[in-house]
Amino acid sequence: MKRSNEPVAWGLFGAGGMLLALVGPGLVVATGFLLPFAEPAAAFHAVDALIAHPLGKLLLLAAIALPLYHTVHRLHHGLQELHAPLPHGLVALLCYGSATVLTIASASWLLVR
Amino acid sequence: MSDSIAIYVARYRPGQDEAPTEQRYDVPLSTDLSVLEALNYIKDELDPTLAYRWSCRMAICGSCGVMIDGEPRLGCKTFLREFADRGELHLRALDNFPVERDLIADVERFMDHLETVKPWTVHNSERPVSEGEYRQTPAELERYQQFSQCINCGLCYAACPQFGRDDSFLGPAALTLALRYNLDSRDDGSAGRMAALNADEGVWRCTFVGYCSEVCPKDVDPAQAVNRGKVASTINYGLNLLRLARGEHDT
Amino acid sequence: MTRKPYRAPQRWSWWLKNPAYRRYLLREATALPLFIYALVLVTGLYRYTQGQLAFTRWLEALQAPGWLVFHAVAVAACVLHAATWIELVPKLLVVPGISGRSIKRGHQVAALIGSALVLGAALVSWPLAGGAS
Ligand code: SF4
Ligand code: FES
Repeated sequence: MKRSNEPVAWGLFGAGGMLLALVGPGLVVATGFLLPFAEPAAAFHAVDALIAHPLGKLLLLAAIALPLYHTVHRLHHGLQELHAPLPHGLVALLCYGSATVLTIASASWLLVR
Repeated sequence: MSDSIAIYVARYRPGQDEAPTEQRYDVPLSTDLSVLEALNYIKDELDPTLAYRWSCRMAICGSCGVMIDGEPRLGCKTFLREFADRGELHLRALDNFPVERDLIADVERFMDHLETVKPWTVHNSERPVSEGEYRQTPAELERYQQFSQCINCGLCYAACPQFGRDDSFLGPAALTLALRYNLDSRDDGSAGRMAALNADEGVWRCTFVGYCSEVCPKDVDPAQAVNRGKVASTINYGLNLLRLARGEHDT
Repeated sequence: MTRKPYRAPQRWSWWLKNPAYRRYLLREATALPLFIYALVLVTGLYRYTQGQLAFTRWLEALQAPGWLVFHAVAVAACVLHAATWIELVPKLLVVPGISGRSIKRGHQVAALIGSALVLGAALVSWPLAGGAS
């Protein structure tokens, strides 16, 4: 039997799932309900200050990338379970590919700041 | 409480039926009658052509599993009184397996998968009997004891939608037994079993639906075993990467 | 006697007939709003790189009722995710000497503290418009 590469996807899925379980509800309330009604200039500078710090960059990247990998993993498996008439390889490519592209984009935006 | 209960049995007679169809049997209701005993009553008193499996009548042999009102359960461990208020219950052969005849499922696939994981203690070298028994401390026993309670009834396979979609998946009980022997201090066969666990058809088909553990009549918790298998397989994957990085060969 | 086993291939609707399967798929479905939520975060970061004006526009867009409803759904999905996730943690994290129950409790407490910390930090660093300061 052939060794599966699923441990990589599963590891990222697990990290994202844990992050969303531990801070997710607070995070969604914060960015979905508090941030939009914050004083815009102050909010912008708060994000500025967060990104200025390497640790802040890392936290932000984790908060974006890990939930991406977590959710695409579930969507990928869910589509198979609902018998979606799409080739398995294509769905995997679209799911994990989009998460990877968005992670790289986010990392580069964080680095140039 | 009325004095009889309607039991609808999905009957399938190969060569005669295209697909299973339900047949109704009225069985006198008594509170201590199990579903298995009701089937025995039907066979003895109403219809000798009904086919089903059983042996021990006490949740040990694992042969009497059927779908009872859509749930995989042991016929000998389920009692009619549970369905008395509704006055009826529906039986069919275990889901996710081909139906051989009436309530008999063809569990060949499950047996193949069990064999794949070598569910016995493997020894690198046989020790002469004169050297005495393989000893084990209570703590060592504790590590796998829960997983050794499996009676191979196959209810967890009937509960698993992944096995239902593609029966190449080794499935809950086989993967549980793999872990059971990997956790056994007397066993040397772990490397061979890991090769099966590491495959797509091994632990990686599982999406932690968890229903297998709900239906298991022996509280084995196969979902726990399979997911601990994923942790073990992930560590194994990492170690393999290290070996590859050192220029050693792939395993 | 010849064998002629009856096979019923799984249908796409397999999950409709059993409440355990419906609960499972609801759990998996939390990924859909949370995926969109992650996209919202990526968009926010992108708008931030375009400067303060663009970032402010993004904040204003999020005030639309549609987005508020979406975020309400996302919070519900995330709470359901957290509850079901933590329920399963003891099955993966088996520590000799610590009961599964304690491991679950520990994660539940950690999740409450975690979300409270994030909310606290947000309240401190993003003063509400029209607030005292
Ligand atoms: S793990 Fe439980 S349900 Fe599955 S075969 Fe063993 S005893 Fe039956
Ligand atoms: S008859 Fe043996 S388990 Fe039910």
